[in-house]
Amino acid sequence: MLKTLKFQDMRKKIMDMVDHRVRIITAGMGLDELRAAMRGDPPTEKPNPRFKVHTTSFIFHIRPRYYEAGSTILTHTFRLGFFTAFFFFVELFTGLILMVYYTPSPEKAYESILLLMNNVPFGKLLRDLHRIGAEGMVIFSFLHMMRTYFTGSYKKERSFTWLTGLVLLGLTMLLSFSGYLLPWDQLAYWAVTVGTSMVEAAPVFGEQANLLLRGAPDIGANGLLRFYLLHVVATPLAAIWVISIHYYKVSREHGISLPASLEEGDVSAEKKRVAKQRIDFIPDLLSHEVFLTCLGLFLLVLAVTLGGYSAPLESVANPQVTPMDTEAPWYFWWLQGMLKLGDKTIMGIIIPTILVAVLVALPYIDRNPYRRLVKRPVAVAVGILAMLTLVMLSYMGLPQWGIEANPATRIIQDLMPEEGMGPVREIPFEQLQAGAYEVGVTPGTRMCPNLDFGCPELEAVFADYSQRVAEAEQIGVITDIQALMVIEDWQQDLKKITLRMIYTDSEDGERKTYERHIFRHRERVME
Amino acid sequence: MTRVQIEIFIGTVLILATSLIVLIYGLNEEGRMAEYELDQHARAIEEGAELFESQCSRCHGTQGMGIPGLCPPLNDRHFFDQRLQEISWSGSMEDYIVATASSGRLVSTRPETFPGEGTPAMPSFSQSFGGPLREDQIRNIASFIVNWEQTATVVEVPEIPVGETVGTDITRQLPEGDLARGETVANRLVCTACHVTAPTGPAWLATDTEPGIGTRAETRYTQEDYQGSAQSPEQYLFESIVQTTAYVVPGYAENLMPATYGTQLTDQDLADLIAYLLSLR
Repeated sequence: MLKTLKFQDMRKKIMDMVDHRVRIITAGMGLDELRAAMRGDPPTEKPNPRFKVHTTSFIFHIRPRYYEAGSTILTHTFRLGFFTAFFFFVELFTGLILMVYYTPSPEKAYESILLLMNNVPFGKLLRDLHRIGAEGMVIFSFLHMMRTYFTGSYKKERSFTWLTGLVLLGLTMLLSFSGYLLPWDQLAYWAVTVGTSMVEAAPVFGEQANLLLRGAPDIGANGLLRFYLLHVVATPLAAIWVISIHYYKVSREHGISLPASLEEGDVSAEKKRVAKQRIDFIPDLLSHEVFLTCLGLFLLVLAVTLGGYSAPLESVANPQVTPMDTEAPWYFWWLQGMLKLGDKTIMGIIIPTILVAVLVALPYIDRNPYRRLVKRPVAVAVGILAMLTLVMLSYMGLPQWGIEANPATRIIQDLMPEEGMGPVREIPFEQLQAGAYEVGVTPGTRMCPNLDFGCPELEAVFADYSQRVAEAEQIGVITDIQALMVIEDWQQDLKKITLRMIYTDSEDGERKTYERHIFRHRERVME
Repeated sequence: MTRVQIEIFIGTVLILATSLIVLIYGLNEEGRMAEYELDQHARAIEEGAELFESQCSRCHGTQGMGIPGLCPPLNDRHFFDQRLQEISWSGSMEDYIVATASSGRLVSTRPETFPGEGTPAMPSFSQSFGGPLREDQIRNIASFIVNWEQTATVVEVPEIPVGETVGTDITRQLPEGDLARGETVANRLVCTACHVTAPTGPAWLATDTEPGIGTRAETRYTQEDYQGSAQSPEQYLFESIVQTTAYVVPGYAENLMPATYGTQLTDQDLADLIAYLLSLR
């Protein structure tokens, strides 16, 4: 029987079988077709099997069949929407793995982060990726909105897409903000306390909303659990739902808008025809997406490894100790800035609500049918003005702006901050020679004759301290300053460093003291 | 090459580069994790030092040398070498410290030498038992205390005085004091467990800005805000040592000084101590 089977028959049979299986898996594309697509060749069969995929495959049926050539120009979209979605998937994957190591209770949360850092291979990498992905998603979704605004792409039939985009911007911020609390360190605890206290300012239901969010008057076990569930279940589900709607509108209904100059500008019919040419999803758009994904992953990994990006982690949350410089996450600095300008309810709730309402109604407020920048001077001016205002408000939202700290407190906070390293903690351990050093009394050079190589770093910090004190004396809010730096050997590998300033407060003429001490261990090396 | 091919090519290169970076990063993971462990341990000791100072030093001394008649020393060779066998503790030193600090002690295990502060002899510190501290904070304190192990020396426990003790009546007539003996009494009682302005030494010595305790005692009881009943520098020191709540120098919290010295010192001891302190000008 074997003799009757020719080798070529067998080969053809096997190839047919493989081709059949491949067609089932790819939902319509055979081996030859796959090869042609990868090579950028035209379709091998008619009707085009690359379109068949879009009707038979679930994953591909939500993808676009084609985009118009003009809309894929890099300088038109900058791929901002793509990268926002990319970051969302990065967050989903890293987040899923991080969930394995995390326990949402105040007793365990911080400890689980410490364990993640010192006991889980690639734990730090995952955490850094998750954190930088979150920042990226907020930045890119905002830039995406700016782009849509300036190209006038929110108009007419795309107004509903704009609305879903706004919802997504809100969800992105909520995702990022709810994740902020989870490490349960000082940074997290106080940023979220500041953030949720804005909710409290809402009229009528403010107190209830705050209670609902925090689970108690102050954030505790209940609050952490609620934020955790918001972060890992509620918001991601909502985001997936709205992203689907948003994306479907773009990919299957209206496509990406053409650049305004090609759509309504003074360009030749030929150019318009070229701009309207279809670019198929398979293989052009798909390969471009794969390429962008690779590029994004590469840049992300580069940033957290060689780039040195590191997710911050302060000391464990302590409801009893309010840090000196409490600040909201950076994407809420503008709101913090507004709060400094006036009443909490007006600035923190009513104006932001109006702002959101204006953005929602934008397609209906802006009745100008044109999309080119030159034809919509008012919209462009308003857009630029809004951006500048946002930047300025964010600057005003910084803790350093507008809040006058006592100079003594400021100096000591700058040299020896409550969190993080600061100049004093960065002095090499060996150079911390025990002694009491007084500004203006102790000579600032050759402070450690007993050490073989002296203590240049200690001297530099002491010089900085002396200079800051001299400057404060000149400004005159505090005068007659006696400034001390005391270093004590406290334990094996442990020193105690005290900064003390005794001064006359020029406001009430009283003699006052401000002092702070820290302990510094030899092995403490990181932020 | 078509655009599709170029993109597939660059994408492949990028993914390989990414994998390579992750691989190289992964080679150092063991070292990195060890480094984080060290750093976190260092932070635990730093925070423990802070907490020890605010919660424990009042009774166990700022340097953990203990206060005779009150609380045992922790920065002590005996504590690290023999304490666990003495009480047949099966766990580690850290466990023992965490357990003791968490739940406190209802009664002292060594009532003759270290009776503690009464009942309970040591309060509970864990929030689980009505104390002020979280579990991780207590573990940090334990890390700090265990860090003394390498350097701890033997702390001599002073003998309990024989004969009549001085009591708390400051008008009591005291015998003639001996300066030199007074200094040994001060050392024996480990006053510097608390009365210390490091790095200059005991707090009763003169500093750049203040004279010694002798001169301070002479002026303090004549000041307007003085609320005690002393009529002389000797009585002022007498009162300060045995009636610790009669007058507290402004700037210091109440109840810092143990009120038990009246029952620990003989007339002669106290007279010597006062003579010594008055000589420091």
